Amino acid sequence: MQYATLMERVRHLAPEERNVLDSPYQIPNELYAALRSVLHDVGGQPDAPTPYLEKGEEDWEMNTYLTCECLGWRGAWNSEMRRRAENDLGATMYFGLPYYARWITVAAKTLVDKGLITTDELGQKIDEIRARLEARD
Amino acid sequence: MTSMHDGHDGHNTFPVSSKVSEFEILELAVRELAIEKGIFSAEDHRRFAEWADGVGPHGGSKLVAKAWSDPAFKEKLLTKGTEACKEVGIDWLQPTGTGTPSDYTFFYVLENTPKVHNVIVCTLCSCYPRPVLGMSPDWYRTPAYRRRMVNRPREVLAEFGLHLPDDVEVRVHDSNQKSRFMVMPMRPDGTEGWSEQELAEIVTRDTMIGVALPDPKVRVPVPAGEVHQ
Repeated sequence: MQYATLMERVRHLAPEERNVLDSPYQIPNELYAALRSVLHDVGGQPDAPTPYLEKGEEDWEMNTYLTCECLGWRGAWNSEMRRRAENDLGATMYFGLPYYARWITVAAKTLVDKGLITTDELGQKIDEIRARLEARD
Repeated sequence: MTSMHDGHDGHNTFPVSSKVSEFEILELAVRELAIEKGIFSAEDHRRFAEWADGVGPHGGSKLVAKAWSDPAFKEKLLTKGTEACKEVGIDWLQPTGTGTPSDYTFFYVLENTPKVHNVIVCTLCSCYPRPVLGMSPDWYRTPAYRRRMVNRPREVLAEFGLHLPDDVEVRVHDSNQKSRFMVMPMRPDGTEGWSEQELAEIVTRDTMIGVALPDPKVRVPVPAGEVHQ
């Protein structure tokens, strides 16, 4: 009886049909071609004109570049690993984050993934630095 | 963000609410942990910063000005890019001895002619010839530039104010991890008898990306002497 009630509720919650992109049974070849392009491979995609801003690097952006390059210099990763890790952030973060925020996010993830730092160490360091910077400002 | 040194109008930037930037915190955390763990040293970071501070479009400007003045150098620049760079003080092996982790690569200089105009892009990320042009402009890294330059180059160039005649072929070069490009614009009329130093001042960054042409009336100061790296 409980089971029947539960199923009744589920039927009310469930959509009548699947959403278009919820693992459809079939898709056109054209959609397959569009979907399997790699996230960063944007060349030729439609877009509208945007203003071409002249914006120099902020301090944290330049430091991000330098830190990521030093990690490469001393063998913690290379630039292909960085680009791959950026793609692996997924579309929301890849396009949603500022350019250098993508870099520093994947630098932290890669150091953790490789076991060079732990998430505890990273968390503690972040707390320590936040306290330091808030005291500064 | 806490330290905007954006001298422009700042439109089209995201509103900033918090006092301390999470990205600044994260960068400091990664850097300090990496130094504490001995992954790299504070001295490495300082040396890299010094190198990054020294590179800029003035490197490319000198290369183009020298090529305009010296046919033998031009030939060398077009065929052996990284070798030719040494003659103006640019060493692609700096600052690590094996180049930068992101740039050490093949360097090709693309010559504009009356019938061919070259322009560079990196559709996959933002590859750019940093040793000769410095850090890429922000717009070069935007998905919009990367998306549109490859299939609507004339439209994009027009937005930069560059209108090319129909009989000029536009060649778009897609940079990648192993190949970096720079455009060698044509020497404009009205520069006869100019010194290399004077010529370098009209070879702006955008003319070497390919979104502008040198204009004898538009001059940007270029430090004299060899490029300091």
